[in-house]
Amino acid sequence: MPPQALYVHVPFCLHHCGYCDFTLVANRDHLIPQYLEMLGRELNHYCREFTHRRKITTLFIGGGTPTHLSPKDLQTIFELIGRHFELSDDGEFSIEANPDGLCDERLSVLEANGINRLSLGVQSFDDAVLKTLERKHSAAEATETIARASNFIPNVSVDLIFGVPGQGLESWQQTLEHLTQLPVKHISTYGLTYEQGTPFYRQEKSGVLKRMPDDLERDMYLAAMSHLESRGFEHYEVSNFGLPGYQCRHNNVYWNADEYYAFGPGAARYIDGIRSTNARSVVKWLNSWNKGEPCEEDREQLTTEEKAREAIMLSLRRMAGLHVASFEARFQLSLQDLAEEEIRQHVEDGLLEYSGECLRLTQNGLLIADSVVSDFL
Amino acid sequence: MDPKFIRNFSIIAHIDHGKSTLADQLLLKSGTITQREFRAQILDDLDIERERGITVKARSVTINWNQDGQVYELNLIDTPGHVDFHYEVNRSLAACEGALLLIDAFQGVQAQTVANAFAAIAVNLEIIPVVNKIDLPVIRVDEVLEEVETVLGLDATDALRVSAKVGLNIESVFEAIVKKIPPPKGTPDAPLKALVFDSKYDNYRGVITYVRIFDGSVKKGDKVRFMREQVVNEVLEIGQFRPNMVACDELGPGQVGYILTGLKELSKVTVGDTVTLFHNPAAEPLPGYQKPKQMVFCGMFPIDATDFEALREELQKLSMNDSSFSFVPETSDALGFGFRCGFLGMLHMEIVQQRLEKEQDMDLIQTAPNVTYQIVKRDGGIMTIDNPQDVPDAGIIEEFREPIAKVSYIVPSQHVGTIMQLCQDRRGIYRSTEYLGPTRAQIIYELPLSEIVYDMYDKLKSVTSGYGTMDYEIIGFAAADLVKMDILVKGSRVDALSTIVHRSNAERRGRALVKRLKEEISKHQFEIAIQAAIGSRVIARETISALSKNVTAKCYGGDITRKRKLLQKQKEGKKRMKQFGEVEIPQKAFLTVLESAKDD
Ligand SMILES: Nc1nc2c(ncn2[C@@H]2O[C@H](COP(=O)(O)OP(=O)(O)OP(=O)(O)O)[C@@H](O)[C@H]2O)c(=O)[nH]1
Ligand code: SF4
Ligand SMILES: [Mg+2]
Repeated sequence: MPPQALYVHVPFCLHHCGYCDFTLVANRDHLIPQYLEMLGRELNHYCREFTHRRKITTLFIGGGTPTHLSPKDLQTIFELIGRHFELSDDGEFSIEANPDGLCDERLSVLEANGINRLSLGVQSFDDAVLKTLERKHSAAEATETIARASNFIPNVSVDLIFGVPGQGLESWQQTLEHLTQLPVKHISTYGLTYEQGTPFYRQEKSGVLKRMPDDLERDMYLAAMSHLESRGFEHYEVSNFGLPGYQCRHNNVYWNADEYYAFGPGAARYIDGIRSTNARSVVKWLNSWNKGEPCEEDREQLTTEEKAREAIMLSLRRMAGLHVASFEARFQLSLQDLAEEEIRQHVEDGLLEYSGECLRLTQNGLLIADSVVSDFL
Repeated sequence: MDPKFIRNFSIIAHIDHGKSTLADQLLLKSGTITQREFRAQILDDLDIERERGITVKARSVTINWNQDGQVYELNLIDTPGHVDFHYEVNRSLAACEGALLLIDAFQGVQAQTVANAFAAIAVNLEIIPVVNKIDLPVIRVDEVLEEVETVLGLDATDALRVSAKVGLNIESVFEAIVKKIPPPKGTPDAPLKALVFDSKYDNYRGVITYVRIFDGSVKKGDKVRFMREQVVNEVLEIGQFRPNMVACDELGPGQVGYILTGLKELSKVTVGDTVTLFHNPAAEPLPGYQKPKQMVFCGMFPIDATDFEALREELQKLSMNDSSFSFVPETSDALGFGFRCGFLGMLHMEIVQQRLEKEQDMDLIQTAPNVTYQIVKRDGGIMTIDNPQDVPDAGIIEEFREPIAKVSYIVPSQHVGTIMQLCQDRRGIYRSTEYLGPTRAQIIYELPLSEIVYDMYDKLKSVTSGYGTMDYEIIGFAAADLVKMDILVKGSRVDALSTIVHRSNAERRGRALVKRLKEEISKHQFEIAIQAAIGSRVIARETISALSKNVTAKCYGGDITRKRKLLQKQKEGKKRMKQFGEVEIPQKAFLTVLESAKDD
């Protein structure tokens, strides 16, 4: 069965936030027309053998800031997608947006084109934290945007960042409290990371930015869990919480290790058992399609065992955990044979546990999920 | 060569007083080397010597010197000054009739000056005191000469005053050598007796045996016998060091040179052996000398187990040119297969390690060094303990013994109190103090070797602002209240971290060590207890709290490959450490035993 999911990357932002290492350019809006043209070429290339428009059940337009594009350019994107794909009736169609510039006109374009889920990069409701993060909106603007946007698209998800230098536990709790009073259906909480190549990385190395102590960061994470769960949000993945029925279906595709199409610079796809990623440089991607050539940088076909290990890594990040029987049926492998020692050790250390038919992280395991899951690779 | 015209002497001194520099001048002024070939400390030709600016191996050279119309053959041996290589001095002295005793014109008599001078006196050599570095802006020649008389009991009236560096008064040195050092005795027609005072392995020529002829003579083609090892070989070449190997026809009484027999195993040639002729053998070998005893031991383990054989080969190669270091295979639960290596002291250990690192590209874990111990068992048997792991159950130990050194310090008078305090704190037994003059004193203590070998030298330098010097010699073993202290990481004993300590120090050392280990071992997914224990009694404990959070709760927009690679990298990072049980212990941690002892 062909992939049911589609990702489109829009690499434009108003400003390049200091911590961000996604594929994007800021202050290069003159590249937008060329981007749209090349996106069209890329779609044509990968979809050249389609005999009819393929049905997809989830779409995710991410960035960058897709809503940095003008209403007209947004419309073009939908048209480009619509040439090759058809949104199924009961699907989930998301777009990422920032509070700044998310005007009613843009919202109507999104609504009109079938977008039924909005993922807003709010990050905090504390202006000091927003300033540290170099965000271009204020807490008040974010609040206003959420309320207004939910009139167009009721399914609003908000991203938050914790572990920001200077941020206190109280500020974080207020942000959580404030957010859960707004009409949101889904919340993602990310711990700030210092990614190589970003200004934050250098500033942390040189001591300009002071990394938050582990313990405080952990307390923030625990605070998010207890607060959000108390407000009816289900913690279903390491970073994700949703009201019942509002898990992000598109992300679940990734975590299930299912296949998906992807377009745009830096976009990663998984088709016919092959994972590949487009050039992460916007200019390189543009130049390449300008010559009509694909520009996949990483391309790998995993062996069954590698796929299985990857699936363990992905599914353990979900609270439901790894369903052992379906895992074994899917890969025709015995989980014990594959990772007996790792499982035994982690269970003994109280980091993993069996719950019903699933193997999953315990609360302690969750806090150090990366260390635990990396042992299975 | 008529022995009348031969002079054999060593150059001895405290470290850095200018022995090798004086040797340069003697080579240069006698025309043995040309100005063009000259470079500072030319005899220090090992890489390690040039890097560190010290001599680690004695070197002999033959020079011709024309004194008042008569050509003399002078055989000089430049010796190392560092205490670890004191045995090299002893070897060299046994091949000579005289010694030049260098004393720095500013520093005066220092600890190794005393040790080396006494070694020369003990074998009845003619000693010529030479005050060196008189070109220095601040010198105190008169005081220095007084020290020579009072401390060493030598007559300093005719002491020479030179500058080896600028080449001042070098002729007076030649003159004194010729006039004062007695020519070698020895009978040309007696059976050959040649002392093996050194040897070296050359990849192409095999073993090169360094000899000093006492009686008889040897020629190319002779069949010779090494008396101790009972090997018989034909002489392929004989020659002298000028300073490079130059072949000659014959070596007679008193002469110094080399013999090549094409022998490929260095182990067949022992230093101190006597070479004689197969067909006309000497009745008795020369007295020879005692083999140096390794006093400091440490383990060396390849991180990658497959490097074990390569490491063995490397060690073998090294031992070819350094017979004073030893190695035997050992196994550790924690570190796998490796070698227990023995050294003469810490500098010697460092040098061997440095050579290993340079000559091979393998990751090694070195465990903290320890001295050698003896255990008298209940049944009367005596065990030598070079490895803390070998300490038997307390129940069968009658007596635990440690090596004792007689340590001699020479320090400015105002530091006498500090040094005494230092020694007292380290279980020292006071022997004597002697004032060398108005400003300096010599203090003698007996101390456990384990209390001095690792860091006493550094401590001394720091408390005396660099003016104190020390020398030591092992005088025997003494019973002490020693115990094996184990380290438990998450409940399991890590054998490679065990140490032998004095009971009175155990708690302090234990606390220092677990604290250091806590710093070295990074947080894991679980809490890690680090304990120091004697038998089953825990004497110190630290806890490394569990890693509290490392969820990279980040969204990668479907870039699973990237996520996976990041996590894989994280895992690789873990693999580069030594996994012990579930705890990863970094290489460096195994040396913390030493570091924490120094913190003390
Ligand atoms: N000013 C001055 N410096 C000298 C003189 N002789 C030697 N030195 C310096 O003293 C230092 C030590 O000289 P070496 O000849 O290596 O001393 P050494 O006694 O052979 O040292 P070890 O073999 O390590 O014991 C070097 O920096 C020399 O340049 C001298 O006559 N005058
Ligand atoms: S707006 Fe979002 S995508 Fe753009 S730079 Fe900031 S964090 Fe990155
Ligand atoms: Mg020297």
